[in-house]
Amino acid sequence: MTGTEADGSTSALSRTAVRDRLDRVTDPELDRSIVELEYVDRIEIDGDRVDVEFTLPTAWCSPAFAWMMAVDARDEVESLSAVETARITLREHMHEAEINRGVNEDLSFAETFPDADGDVAAVRAELDEKARVARQYDAVETLLEAGLDAEAIVALRPRDLERPEADGDDVAVGATADATEAVAVYVRDRSFAVSVPAEPIERYLEKAHEIDLVSGPDDVLFRTPEGEPIDADSFDLVHQRGRLAQVNMSSQGGICDGLREAREGRLAADD
Amino acid sequence: MWCGNDVHCAMYQHNGEEIFVIDGHVHLWDATEENIKHEGGEEFIQCFYDYHTTFTPEDRQWTVDEYRKYGADRMVEDLFGNAAADMAIFQPTYLTDFYEDGFNTTEQNAELAEEHPERFVLNGTFDPRDGEEGLEYLEDLHESYDIPGVKLYTAEWRGESKGWRLDDEEAFEFLEKCSELGIENIHAHKGPTIRPLNRDAFDVADVDDAASSFPELNFVVEHVGLPRLDDFCWIAAQENNVYGGLAVAAPFAQNRPGKFSEIMSELLWWLGEDRILFGSDYALWNPDWLVEEVLEAELTQEHRMEYGVEWDLETKKKVMGENAAELYDIDIEEKRRQFQDDEISREFDLGDHYASEEPAAADD
Repeated sequence: MTGTEADGSTSALSRTAVRDRLDRVTDPELDRSIVELEYVDRIEIDGDRVDVEFTLPTAWCSPAFAWMMAVDARDEVESLSAVETARITLREHMHEAEINRGVNEDLSFAETFPDADGDVAAVRAELDEKARVARQYDAVETLLEAGLDAEAIVALRPRDLERPEADGDDVAVGATADATEAVAVYVRDRSFAVSVPAEPIERYLEKAHEIDLVSGPDDVLFRTPEGEPIDADSFDLVHQRGRLAQVNMSSQGGICDGLREAREGRLAADD
Repeated sequence: MWCGNDVHCAMYQHNGEEIFVIDGHVHLWDATEENIKHEGGEEFIQCFYDYHTTFTPEDRQWTVDEYRKYGADRMVEDLFGNAAADMAIFQPTYLTDFYEDGFNTTEQNAELAEEHPERFVLNGTFDPRDGEEGLEYLEDLHESYDIPGVKLYTAEWRGESKGWRLDDEEAFEFLEKCSELGIENIHAHKGPTIRPLNRDAFDVADVDDAASSFPELNFVVEHVGLPRLDDFCWIAAQENNVYGGLAVAAPFAQNRPGKFSEIMSELLWWLGEDRILFGSDYALWNPDWLVEEVLEAELTQEHRMEYGVEWDLETKKKVMGENAAELYDIDIEEKRRQFQDDEISREFDLGDHYASEEPAAADD
């Protein structure tokens, strides 16, 4: 996570600022940034107007997924105060015409694909949940490595997490952290705390907040894939399911990477 | 470690042990331009071709023209010529909205399967949206070919419909018919989809209800549900008549061995060694190199420690052949005797290799 961009507070709009915004957009199936995945082909800035072009690993990539990325890219870029309009162009996709029109004319998914059954929200919710489960695995691994046991981990709530600040004030975790920062985790009725790397915990919290699974300081932090608090007896199984969610995402990532390379090779050869 | 066509270094031998290989997922397709009637047909074969080149060693890649239509002779040679596979199971893919005569239908596959009935298993298909006519077609397939299984494409578009679910009421009628006719093996394509629009492209959950409602049938989820491996494994962990077909996952062995190790470890952890079936998805990938890659693959030390599973000889024997043999009532020892002198063994001079436990034959 970057979180350090200018936020549009300066009037000069930089490509870096746009890129940092796009970096927040994930391929929902892989839970990885579209910038990191190299989907973004071009960023053009013309005054307060930004054009973004992107390509996906296959022309067959689910239009629902393509739609989510296009809409998220538009919304992220337009959240910069120096940007009036973001124009998004998806290239080399079998539904590029519909998606480009829909996203740039502010249509809904249902308006863009009148023959689609169901809406995109349910798909997004399901992918968000998988991303949360996968992120939970990393967070829990971090805690296990720090010596916490199942019982302590399943009982954790946001109020048990504190990030020590340089000025001495403890600040509740939730803001973005860089990789070197640590977070204090209080256990056993706050009788003691262990210090663990903040990044995996915060990545988890970000997603858990986003989907409203964990919103208050007293909510149970870690959950089953179904969203329920975890029984200490089933901790190992739930943790294994988190591992599985990660393997699924990274496997699909491997397929997408390969397909993207193959496709670029083929498109280059066709030129 | 290529063996090429040298049968004396043949692939059915692994560390001195014979491994009987049943390729659980093969096609004989026609994607020539003459057969394409909808742009989807062209996009479909191009998409397949990308999968092919992504996971095939460079020196084994086909040209796109070879790939469009390879024909029966080449298929027989690729599968059996160097004894990479001993048997293969045809899984049809109709796609009649895209291809004039279909992409690979049961009838098309049957031409080759009936020429070598000892080597091929011929599966059929059904589509519950076809209603009464579809039920009759299923009965016809049963009568004409005595199909032991079906391959299903729940995400196939047809007219206005964007797909169907295995737990639909209509689908249950067809599964009941399968049960009644003794068509026990239900292969559901749950992986890369055809024209995915939204939800139908995404879901493996329908297998759960179908599998628990039809405990007498076996549900083989092809491509182990990728990109829904997590949903698939969780369902399979609870339904013991759910199996995983390795097509798509297998070729990871070749250029993403760490990933292969990880996926295989997950599968072995959640399903155990009795419910995983090898498949090449030929001609997406070719068993003439893929079988060797999968047999030579190893789990990383890290994964073996983490998951406590092994990709050892006993496991390989099950995954590569014995598990499919169990589902399809294939007697491997009898097959070995039969293959000492069947047409294919004569054509490719393989008789010696089925003749005894010894690597070299007595009458050689």
